[in-house]
Amino acid sequence: MTTDIGTSMVDASKPAGSVPSPVARAKWKRLRFGIAVLATQVLVLAALLVVWERATPKGSPAAFMFGSPSAIAGFLIQMAQDGSLWRDAAVTGMETLLGFFMGNLVGTLLGLSLWYSRFVSRVVEPFVIALGSIPIIALAPIVIIWFGTGLVSKVAMSTLSVVIVALVTSYKGAVGADGDQIYLMKTLGASKFQIFRKLVIPASLTDIFAGLKLTVGFALIGAIVGEFMSSSEGLGHAIFKAGSLYIIPKVFAALVVTIALALVLTWLVGKIERLLMPWRRQV
Amino acid sequence: MSVEAATHARPGEGEAVNGTALPLVVEHVAKGYDLNGQVVPVIADLSLTLRKGEIVSLVGPSGCGKTTLLNTLCGLLAPDAGRIRWHGRQVVGQPQNVGYMLQKDLLFPWRTALANTMLGLEIRGVPAAEAEDRSRAMLDQLGLHGFADHYPATLSGGMRQRVALARTLVNDPDVLLLDEPFAALDFQTKLLIESDMVSLVRKGGRSMLLITHDIEEAVSIADRVIVLTRRPTAVKAAYEIELGSDRADVISLRENPDFSRYVRRIWADLDVAIQ
Repeated sequence: MTTDIGTSMVDASKPAGSVPSPVARAKWKRLRFGIAVLATQVLVLAALLVVWERATPKGSPAAFMFGSPSAIAGFLIQMAQDGSLWRDAAVTGMETLLGFFMGNLVGTLLGLSLWYSRFVSRVVEPFVIALGSIPIIALAPIVIIWFGTGLVSKVAMSTLSVVIVALVTSYKGAVGADGDQIYLMKTLGASKFQIFRKLVIPASLTDIFAGLKLTVGFALIGAIVGEFMSSSEGLGHAIFKAGSLYIIPKVFAALVVTIALALVLTWLVGKIERLLMPWRRQV
Repeated sequence: MSVEAATHARPGEGEAVNGTALPLVVEHVAKGYDLNGQVVPVIADLSLTLRKGEIVSLVGPSGCGKTTLLNTLCGLLAPDAGRIRWHGRQVVGQPQNVGYMLQKDLLFPWRTALANTMLGLEIRGVPAAEAEDRSRAMLDQLGLHGFADHYPATLSGGMRQRVALARTLVNDPDVLLLDEPFAALDFQTKLLIESDMVSLVRKGGRSMLLITHDIEEAVSIADRVIVLTRRPTAVKAAYEIELGSDRADVISLRENPDFSRYVRRIWADLDVAIQ
């Protein structure tokens, strides 16, 4: 739409109903942008799949090495029909959720409570850095010795992958509470606990949720690494087993399910975030 | 100096004889901060009095230690020397019944205008229903009827500062301490809020200490303007502002010929040089 006077006069002569309001136009513009992004993403994915499929004809060595989209789809359908897809996804999903929940609960509680005492947070700091620098996979053998080969060890791996990140992000959020707002609370006569509850915790929510989104992936990695080490079910087990048997398309099929699981969990966290932080929705 | 002040500070000594203690008395307060072992003086020697129902403005050149003064007055910093008495008493920590307002509105983004206003009452444990009624009434008085359930992000700068004012006034403070509360607002918005604030403060018989570097604001609002020197800060001059009886109308006051005379004299006192 041009802005010169001639056109706008023509517009004005039309019946009022056909002239879109600026708000509606802005909305349409945003919608059009969203559709364009989505369409491009679908196109890129489709192009990749076509090239992949063409490069890996059935029975060729390339198909054996890299799998092919049609073979992957075949395995997905087969796994869905024999129920293993749902079972493995449910097992890994449960491990991930439990680890995600426990790791974030413990990490966030510790991180927030460190706000209370500068002394304790200083004492704890090097230990947190040390623990945070351990690759979690290195702990897997010990975790299996301690917690066995069942669900608990995977949940423990998942929890360990999450807890330090949750601690650091929530602590960062807590100490990031605005100094002037703390001062305001003090002048209103607030106790330290009131400052903590009414200011520090809500002010940390943004960082806590950033941590939650980040740790969905970490929790999933922890669970799958745990399944790699020793397991009889779960997506990590499926990937490991298919890989050892050189069934590459099945590895990819299980990976696709893993990605879908990660997307669903991330979407859930976003939903909860919008529910818990309504003041950000209105903006 | 500090030893002498300390020996004089016996409990109860500051009580006024006739029972009507002045809301705020500042006597020879000095404050400095430590920089690499050397004490840099910020406030040299400052005395002032705030009477009941009086509005006093402190004007000073920028960087004259206003924030240090405010933090010292409200007990966040201890003075190196001198005494501060609120209602005749020296207090440790935050004085009671004092409301503060700063240039930043400091509203909590996760609270609605109403919930932000209720903050102080909530902290003091006032029952929720009563706190809500009082807060709604205060928001209405400040022209925010219908905006109680809005989050700060959806309010304009002027409205946000009105919410901050409501949050201060709803606690029914005897004394208000304001540190350039409207400096960030545009001229018209600022005049309107000031005029609402002054009428509420005068109607409630509250006292107010306004720190500002806007001379016109100081003269239009205050009964008395105290001019501060550069750092280390001391009182340079004080003016009783006499601009007729209706001091609540801060807008038409500005047309009074005496208004510009006061402004010119204070401007001359401030001795602002181009640096």
